[in-house]
Amino acid sequence: MQCYGFIGLKHTITHNAALFLTLSGRSSKGNMAAGVLTGVRQVLRGPRLVSAVFSCHGQTFSSAAAAPDTAAAEKILNFPLTQPDYFRLSELFTLKDLFEARVHLGHKKGCRHRLMEPYLFGSRLDTDIIDLEQTAEHLQRALNFTAHVAYRGGIILFVSRRRQFGHLIETTARECGEYAHTRYWKGGLLTNASIQYSPGVRLPDLILFFSTLNNVFQQHVGIRDAAKMNIPTVGIVDSNCNPSLITYPVPGNDDTPVAMEMYCRLFKMTINRAKDKRRQMELLKGISASV
Amino acid sequence: MASLCKVMYNVSSRSSLLPKHCVFTTLRSCSSDASGGDGKSAERVKSGFAAAYEQHSGLRQSGDQSSGDETSFASLLRRSALSQMGPAKDKIIVGKIFHIVNDDLYVDFGGKFHCVCKRPPADGQKYQRGSRVRLRLEEVEMTSRFLGATVDTTLLEADATLLGLIESKDSKTKE
Repeated sequence: MQCYGFIGLKHTITHNAALFLTLSGRSSKGNMAAGVLTGVRQVLRGPRLVSAVFSCHGQTFSSAAAAPDTAAAEKILNFPLTQPDYFRLSELFTLKDLFEARVHLGHKKGCRHRLMEPYLFGSRLDTDIIDLEQTAEHLQRALNFTAHVAYRGGIILFVSRRRQFGHLIETTARECGEYAHTRYWKGGLLTNASIQYSPGVRLPDLILFFSTLNNVFQQHVGIRDAAKMNIPTVGIVDSNCNPSLITYPVPGNDDTPVAMEMYCRLFKMTINRAKDKRRQMELLKGISASV
Repeated sequence: MASLCKVMYNVSSRSSLLPKHCVFTTLRSCSSDASGGDGKSAERVKSGFAAAYEQHSGLRQSGDQSSGDETSFASLLRRSALSQMGPAKDKIIVGKIFHIVNDDLYVDFGGKFHCVCKRPPADGQKYQRGSRVRLRLEEVEMTSRFLGATVDTTLLEADATLLGLIESKDSKTKE
């Protein structure tokens, strides 16, 4: 059976004590403020995570009444993984949409990263052109993965250090009920989380990089840290970025506002679709269990 | 340049108006050619004008298909305004102001980056968000290789000089 999603919130089972939720910092200093989020968010996350944990260990239940319940719960989790495009994300964008959003425009030849060469269609008058046919495939895979993570109740973190799009990314994250970090990335945010915050902190299950470079054209620290902590990443890589450590790279333009708005819209629609689908499946399960 | 783009778009739109039933006629013409022109026993064999019509419509469709798929990335790129423009030096283009900071106008002309121009002293107040302006483009992206560096340093901006506002007849008649 081919798996199209990322199975197992393994690291969350160990951190089952407290759910710590981070939001982008709003402090005047500009550093990331470690704030605890409202009880509403925690209540929404808690029961879903707990039920996911219990459904993974369904065999430990001995009562007969619980057996069909766990079977249905397992079906809810496993059935989407058997379909190649369960959430029908291929209808969200076409190649022409990507073209009109100027996703194919890259930087100049001199700024090119050697590892981006396979994703480039070519270079015209010293400007690199990104191959949109490859981009469309990579984007489809990335959106599908994001949808599966959101379906299974994973925490998604939107990261970008481009000041021009910081507000756009924060509002997008808020609209899909996920989290964003568009400010200064403190060193041990992921790798030293249990000391910097509290032991038993839940880390994000997916990190979306809308621009993989920071303001001095070095790779964002979050990419290396996510790889260290086994957190999958999705990243929009421009022709001057390094795609190596990113799990689902999406070659594309990350400098034009039109392109960024399109990516934000696509990811928001994917996450909302996946969450709605999950709520629908839970309702159906509730109805069939009561019947 | 604009007229050239328009001509090319007309050609492409005309060729895309092929009726879909030509697909069936190519299949039929293939079958009729295989059976030989003189088989009167088969119902689908046509002769005379009908056969000639099918053969020519088949030829026309195959000729148009060989010229390239309309929605492939390569054809979209080839027909885009940025490719048709050619080298960016000294090209006159139209841009739209999307942001203003005191006297700096941020103009977007359809490229990867925007350009920043100073507000001109003449008719300064007419340059507001959403105004269309004429620009002379110098570079699409300002980059340079400095000594001792492995990659170019980019300013993430284009370089253009502001020529003036575009006065459209519609705005005049509204007032």
